[in-house]
Amino acid sequence: MFRYLVRRFLQMILVFVATTFIVFALMYATGGDPIQALAGERPVSEQQRAQLTKLYGLDQPFLVRYWNYLTGLLRLDFGKALNGRDVSEIIASALPVTAKLALIAIITTIVVGVVAGIIAGVRRGSIFDNSTLVLTLIVIGIPIVTLAPLAQYIFGIKLGWFPATAAGREDDIYALLLPGIILGALSVATAMRLTRASFNENLRSDYVRTARSKGLPGRRVIGVHVLRNSLIPIITFLGIELGALMAGAIVTESVFNVNGIGFNLARALRTEDAPLVVGLVSVLVIIFLVANLIVDLLYAVLDPRIRYE
Amino acid sequence: MTDIHVETERVQGHHLLEVKDLFVEFHTRDGVARVINGVSYHLDPGETLAVLGESGSGKSVTAQAIMGILDMPPAKIPKGQILYNGEDLLKMPEDKRRDIRGQQISMIFQDALSALNPVFSVGWQISETLRTRMGMSKADAMKRAVELMDQVKIPAAKARLKDYPHQFSGGMRQRVMIAMSLAMDPKVLIADEPTTALDVTVQAQIMDLLADLRRDLNMGMILITHDLGVVADVADRIAVMYAGRIIEHADVRALYKQPAHPYTKGLLESIPRLDDKGTVLKTIKGLPPNLMRLPTGCKYHPRCPYTQPICVSDEPRSLNLGNGRTSACHFAKEMLSGELG
Repeated sequence: MFRYLVRRFLQMILVFVATTFIVFALMYATGGDPIQALAGERPVSEQQRAQLTKLYGLDQPFLVRYWNYLTGLLRLDFGKALNGRDVSEIIASALPVTAKLALIAIITTIVVGVVAGIIAGVRRGSIFDNSTLVLTLIVIGIPIVTLAPLAQYIFGIKLGWFPATAAGREDDIYALLLPGIILGALSVATAMRLTRASFNENLRSDYVRTARSKGLPGRRVIGVHVLRNSLIPIITFLGIELGALMAGAIVTESVFNVNGIGFNLARALRTEDAPLVVGLVSVLVIIFLVANLIVDLLYAVLDPRIRYE
Repeated sequence: MTDIHVETERVQGHHLLEVKDLFVEFHTRDGVARVINGVSYHLDPGETLAVLGESGSGKSVTAQAIMGILDMPPAKIPKGQILYNGEDLLKMPEDKRRDIRGQQISMIFQDALSALNPVFSVGWQISETLRTRMGMSKADAMKRAVELMDQVKIPAAKARLKDYPHQFSGGMRQRVMIAMSLAMDPKVLIADEPTTALDVTVQAQIMDLLADLRRDLNMGMILITHDLGVVADVADRIAVMYAGRIIEHADVRALYKQPAHPYTKGLLESIPRLDDKGTVLKTIKGLPPNLMRLPTGCKYHPRCPYTQPICVSDEPRSLNLGNGRTSACHFAKEMLSGELG
């Protein structure tokens, strides 16, 4: 187990370095003039240009800049964004917001997707099963770039059930509710189908027949024996889905003006703010890697046949 | 059957378990499969009834109907009775029936690896009914689980309590299964091909164990098998099934001595023998019938070497040959006297 953890940790470092390198290189290769981007339309004098070049280390070769960036990370120094703020400071204010959003999304996925999937799986062929299947098909078919503005228009503006935008109200859970649910909606469909399939398969297995022949009540057969086995693929899915949620957050946060990681990343990409983009992507990569590790460890807890060495 | 059994039978007025004229059909998209067509058998305390037959003969389905674990639909029981201590299980409300399941009648299955839940420890699974149905404390239930594991001769039972099914060998896993089925002191144990998935040497150990347990606990045991060799030592009576009917029923010795049905004769002749070196092994020609399109008359007639016109036209009734012996063959008497075959 310990050896497995060490190996996984080394792998994570490798993946982290590789991904940040790629993002760093991509931002470098776009070849825009970062100083001009910083100044906007205003002219930049030679003296200012020289000063800024030195401040951001733009005169250094690419590999040296990357090396400086990596070593900076070890001191939790993500560098400075082009607007002069510390990247780490932006992350510190944006991360909790996105975390709350992701939490709402995951809860939505579990409550709606997994629960509906269980019901559909147990009552295969029922009206509930068939109608949810059609419904999920529709939801899967709508991309989030359509779904988010649509929901904002219907529930935020027309019906007025939720605030249409969360700008400046990131501490208010109520304002985050609609973007969070929309963010989770995409996973709901997949989670439902996965849960349904998993339950379906496990319901037909021999150990269910055994459990029934022990005279256990139906709710115990399903709620204990089948559930425990069906959870294994669902947990894996939820862990991996966290990565997709981060990607979805870029759109959702932009549409609803939620000042989180995704919102800042979209803005940084637009303004070609290389240090900010790299910093935010680094955070996303770390979240993704840690989530994956947790899922793999949970796997061994849920399924005793899996042992890590 | 000994005289003592006949006595207790008369005092109580009924058998421990009795299946009466049971029919089971499966409604599928392709049509109706008539899997059980009028099966009757009975079981008394302390005896072993072997139910013998090929795959698809309906021996497992009958057992699942007794347990009440058939999926209905697609299965349907249009006719018949299953009496436990004289009470019809098929007419019972589900919760009352569930009380009998596992507690009075319990069942073990062929492949213990898939029949045990892979994600719970064996101690957890053995003690589950004790905790949830008998209201035992967790500690007491676990203590009882160790006793049960000792009883089925699992070495170092206490140390293995927390192990999972995949960590056991095939034979040990089947012992876990048996321990689990014994947890609530059932009166009837149905063993559905309990040794089919095991090595030959382990098979013998498991059969011995089952025979011992049946004797010690005075249970009635229904042993479902397709292996005539397994039956001889442990069973008191044999019911041979073909195409959803019992075609012959007899005491083990009587049946081995002289079968009263051509199918039984065919089965006995297809057992390989050590002293028959050099001769070609006899087999039963053909395949079991398609349950969607059963043949006319005797269901065995397309494969029977003695088929006569009456076999094609008329379905034979079960003929009583005395001493509890029955045969569903038009020529049962001739078979028994040795005039045929």
